[in-house]
Amino acid sequence: MTIPRPGDFLDLLHRSGHSFAAPFAADPSFATALHPPKPPVVPVETHGTTVIAVKYDGGVLNVGDRRATANNAIVYDRAEKVIALDDHCLISISGSYARSLEVIRYLRSSFKYYSRTQLQEMSLDGKLNELSRIIAGNLSSAMQGIGLFIPVLSAYDMERGEGRIFFYDGMGARFETDEFAAAGSGSERIRGSFDYIVRAKGPFRRMTLEQALCEALILMDIAADLDSATGGYNKILPVAKTVSADGITDISEEQIRDLADRVS
Amino acid sequence: MGFTPYDWNENIQHRVDYVETRLREGSPVVGLTFSSGVLILSVRRTQRKVFEVFDHILYSAMGSQSDVEAIRIASIDFAHQEGFNRSPDDVSVQRMVAGLSPTLKKAFTDGFSAPFIFRGLFAELGREPGRDGFTTLGYDGDYAVHSTYAAVAGSSEAERKMNELLSGGGSDRLPLPDALRLGIRAWAAGRAAVAGAGFTRDEGEEHAPEAAPEAVLSKALEDGSVEVGTLERQGPLVRFRILPPGDAVEAVQDILHKIP
Repeated sequence: MTIPRPGDFLDLLHRSGHSFAAPFAADPSFATALHPPKPPVVPVETHGTTVIAVKYDGGVLNVGDRRATANNAIVYDRAEKVIALDDHCLISISGSYARSLEVIRYLRSSFKYYSRTQLQEMSLDGKLNELSRIIAGNLSSAMQGIGLFIPVLSAYDMERGEGRIFFYDGMGARFETDEFAAAGSGSERIRGSFDYIVRAKGPFRRMTLEQALCEALILMDIAADLDSATGGYNKILPVAKTVSADGITDISEEQIRDLADRVS
Repeated sequence: MGFTPYDWNENIQHRVDYVETRLREGSPVVGLTFSSGVLILSVRRTQRKVFEVFDHILYSAMGSQSDVEAIRIASIDFAHQEGFNRSPDDVSVQRMVAGLSPTLKKAFTDGFSAPFIFRGLFAELGREPGRDGFTTLGYDGDYAVHSTYAAVAGSSEAERKMNELLSGGGSDRLPLPDALRLGIRAWAAGRAAVAGAGFTRDEGEEHAPEAAPEAVLSKALEDGSVEVGTLERQGPLVRFRILPPGDAVEAVQDILHKIP
């Protein structure tokens, strides 16, 4: 039975005895076409965009643009997307900004809690597994279209004496990379450029910090050119941090500005 | 068999005697502020004595190892739950000891449970100099808040002597090495107050001659070492560290040179 709707002209004709309208009015697909169901309301999420991690001869360099977007709106242009988890772990975040920051808050607290109660640092493998578990636990939310975040974790492995880079997929699978990793909306646009740099100029891990930072800034600029959500460095400088045997170091704005001017 | 009104008092007194006797020979703990942070020090043998509880909170205690550990874990749990659920800015020693105190009091007064053998000291680094704090917590749940220094030791007389020495030190203006010397001298004074000439007073020997603090320190360091934990203001960061043993050696040597 067709449910009459106020203002439904075909239904009015049908009730008035005009039989030619009946087949249309009785057809549920026709009624659906006239009154399409409203899509479910999904909150507009703020997303972090492009982050880059490359090795250099002393550890790992992380660079992130400062833009946070919601659909095609720029929500914030001073977002922090490269954040220290502890003295030897850096996380660079892309995707859901709210979820990322909550996860970072949890991980920082968790690592500190472990070291304070157990009187020893959590192993690097333990930290990586904890992040995997969180991403996997976030899957059902991500499947509904909210809360998906993809991090890149950079660490200085004190036992091996080297910097290491790990990236993840949306289900929590962990991958270690030899040279570089990137995440966020601009990362796919510049993926081939990483390989070009490695082939043309040699591996990132043999570069000095200055060389690696130059390459990362160029990559960020390309990402900004090809991806409207990526901020680049022309208006607001990206944030850059290193993780090395000495811990986490912020690269000063002056140094980034100086190099950005040189590569422009 | 019934209980008289006096049995409860007697039971409490027995518990006080038991706990005080157990605490008497413990290694005292000193907490004091210095020009760029706070420190807690003690002399340890095999186990660690000074711990980080939270970003701006240090802890040390004397007593039964399991009780010291239980309070340490409870403090860390409280601080991290509060710090995560609200903010690290909402974690304070005042709130922490107010939460721990009833548990200690209950264990102390409940005749059917073992009392904590415990006397602890928390140090809290303020946002700026002059806002540091030290809180002592006892086995009966009593706690006291101090501003620039505090000490816990094997007897109230020992604590009095330590506080007397610390009060004249003006440690809040001292750099770390000088504050370290002051702290070690206070530790030795506290330890000497409960140790006789043979370095251990027997029961009933309250009036036996006290040992020289330097000699007590020298003896204690034969099989122990000074452990110092610090929290220092370094710009926006607060850093916890256990000082390398060598840092305390110089301070100890300065003090021991006074031995004739």
